[in-house]
Amino acid sequence: MSEPGLRIADLHCSVAGKEILKGIDLIVEPGKVHALMGPNGSGKSTLAFSLTGHPQYAVTRGSVHLDGVDVLALPPDKRARAGLFLSFQYPAAIPGIKVANFLHAARQAVRPGDLAPAKFRALLMEKMEVLGMDPSFMGRYLNDGFSGGEKKRLEMLQLAVLAPKYAVLDETDSGLDVDALKDVCDSVKTLRASDEGRAAGFLIITHYPRILQYITPDVVHVMIDGRIVKTGGHDLANRIENEGYDTIREEIGAIA
Amino acid sequence: MPSAIAPGEDLRERLAAFDGDLLAPDVRSRALDRFFATRTGRERPGRYWKTDLESIVPETVAGVAGSVRIENANARLVACDLAAAARLHAPLLARAFGTTAAGTTKFGALAAAFAQLGAFVYVPADVASDEPVVITYDVPAGASVFPYTVVLAERGARATVIERCTGGDGAAFVCGATEIVTEEHAELVYASCQELSTGARVFATRAARPGNNAKISWACAELGSALAVTDISVAIERPGVEVRITALFFPQGSQHVDVVSTVDHLVGDSNSETLVKSAAVDRGQARFLGNIRIARNAQGTNANLRDDALLLSTKAHIDSVPALEIAANDVKAYHGATVGALDGEQIFYMESRGIERNAAERMIALGFFEPAIAHFPTNALRDEIRSALQAKLP
Repeated sequence: MSEPGLRIADLHCSVAGKEILKGIDLIVEPGKVHALMGPNGSGKSTLAFSLTGHPQYAVTRGSVHLDGVDVLALPPDKRARAGLFLSFQYPAAIPGIKVANFLHAARQAVRPGDLAPAKFRALLMEKMEVLGMDPSFMGRYLNDGFSGGEKKRLEMLQLAVLAPKYAVLDETDSGLDVDALKDVCDSVKTLRASDEGRAAGFLIITHYPRILQYITPDVVHVMIDGRIVKTGGHDLANRIENEGYDTIREEIGAIA
Repeated sequence: MPSAIAPGEDLRERLAAFDGDLLAPDVRSRALDRFFATRTGRERPGRYWKTDLESIVPETVAGVAGSVRIENANARLVACDLAAAARLHAPLLARAFGTTAAGTTKFGALAAAFAQLGAFVYVPADVASDEPVVITYDVPAGASVFPYTVVLAERGARATVIERCTGGDGAAFVCGATEIVTEEHAELVYASCQELSTGARVFATRAARPGNNAKISWACAELGSALAVTDISVAIERPGVEVRITALFFPQGSQHVDVVSTVDHLVGDSNSETLVKSAAVDRGQARFLGNIRIARNAQGTNANLRDDALLLSTKAHIDSVPALEIAANDVKAYHGATVGALDGEQIFYMESRGIERNAAERMIALGFFEPAIAHFPTNALRDEIRSALQAKLP
């Protein structure tokens, strides 16, 4: 039975023997945007890494299915080929690998042989323009000496080029000035408006509601201490903007 | 197996019977004396490094062996066989041949003792050549070969020389030297690419003396052979010099590679940049010693030494020793060295983009060499180096 969606059920994850995720239940439907908010240290990035299969993040319980595919049974590269994408908060710099070669290798891996080199190049140019990236980017080494903003733009370029089924954006907004944030959000919007990206589901991890003013989420979740403690609509993000996380902490304290 | 006679005596007899006419017998004989009298000063064999460089001698020297092919498209420069240069361009040759420190090292002295096979490149003043001169030494199976390359670039000349060393099946022994002399404002790129068979032993001594405001870029790829011992040195005796030394090597199987680079800043207002990228896999062993010496009156020197070593298997080993000796007080000297395995975060990042783990590791390892590969001339040579490195990757 293959139900569509990125379906996370009772996910527990430990890092270096310490349990960080304490049972996450979350379903990102195709075409929907979910925001995952929470204070620093609540486990948001751990969720991102456990979904994508980072070797230091040990899933101890639970399941993750991507349109019916058992994601946790796959190594990281196969998860990507199944249609999962993570925009890294701190992408690795890899000197010696040129951005263009890397993007081509990634596109070939995820969508083998679907674009001739000339068309691939045209696609890159088109996506880079949306992101306000100079073509000289292509000849630079991957994230090597990139500013924070350049790294985030490159993550979004990869998102646009790979057009995954489900994308997790981990703090893509952090460290960006307003112009860069707008470019990044425009890129996501362009993808969502395209044939390739129309059905993509998004999980946007952030602790500032700022990015959600540009990309309106369908659902907002709040994570505290490894659990999703509250789920709501866009108004929940507004409430966090105004009140911070303290009142939510008090609420769940009262319930518990 | 211990030989019946002392190795030295054997070699003296062979030198006496050597039929090369490039050098007078007494000059050869003195060079051989230096070979025996000089120690390499390299570290003794230990846990990883198994070869004792002090006791190595060529077992078989049977006349002048090997061949050289010289490709040069520019009629304004001279690029010819060394013996021909001695006949036709003796005054030019004398301005460079034997004038650097090459002959003072142990294996440089051995190369001089048996010097005959070789090439001479002369770039006259203000001649700029875009097409590289390509010198290819081919080493016959089991032979002892002593290739000697001499380059003289006059004032304002600009040229690129590529030296290749191929062949060398069946435990060949190669002991060569390269001497570069440039005059003021000359710019020379010299790249060597050693791709000998895996049974060969190769010793290369390379020395340069740049003139005022001259630029030398020296790039060296040690890709083949069972044992490769390379010594690159540049003596900066004139101001305004810019030197770049690049070395890359990648021992696999049971290959041993030993590279020493030396930049002697004897006068000030000069720049040097040394970049070494190495990897080792299987039981591959390597050591790199990077010397930067800045003399007391070499004020205003800018010296940079960077070396990175990548270990791709648990039994591979690379020793990396940057050695800075600074006697002046108004200089900029930087050195950085890293030794490590592939970075797990880099691998994961690539995997997260759908790239299979082994492919990711290969891309990262190959990319690791790229900053050094970029210093080699011509697309064709860079691609050749990439292919050779790729073939070594697991």
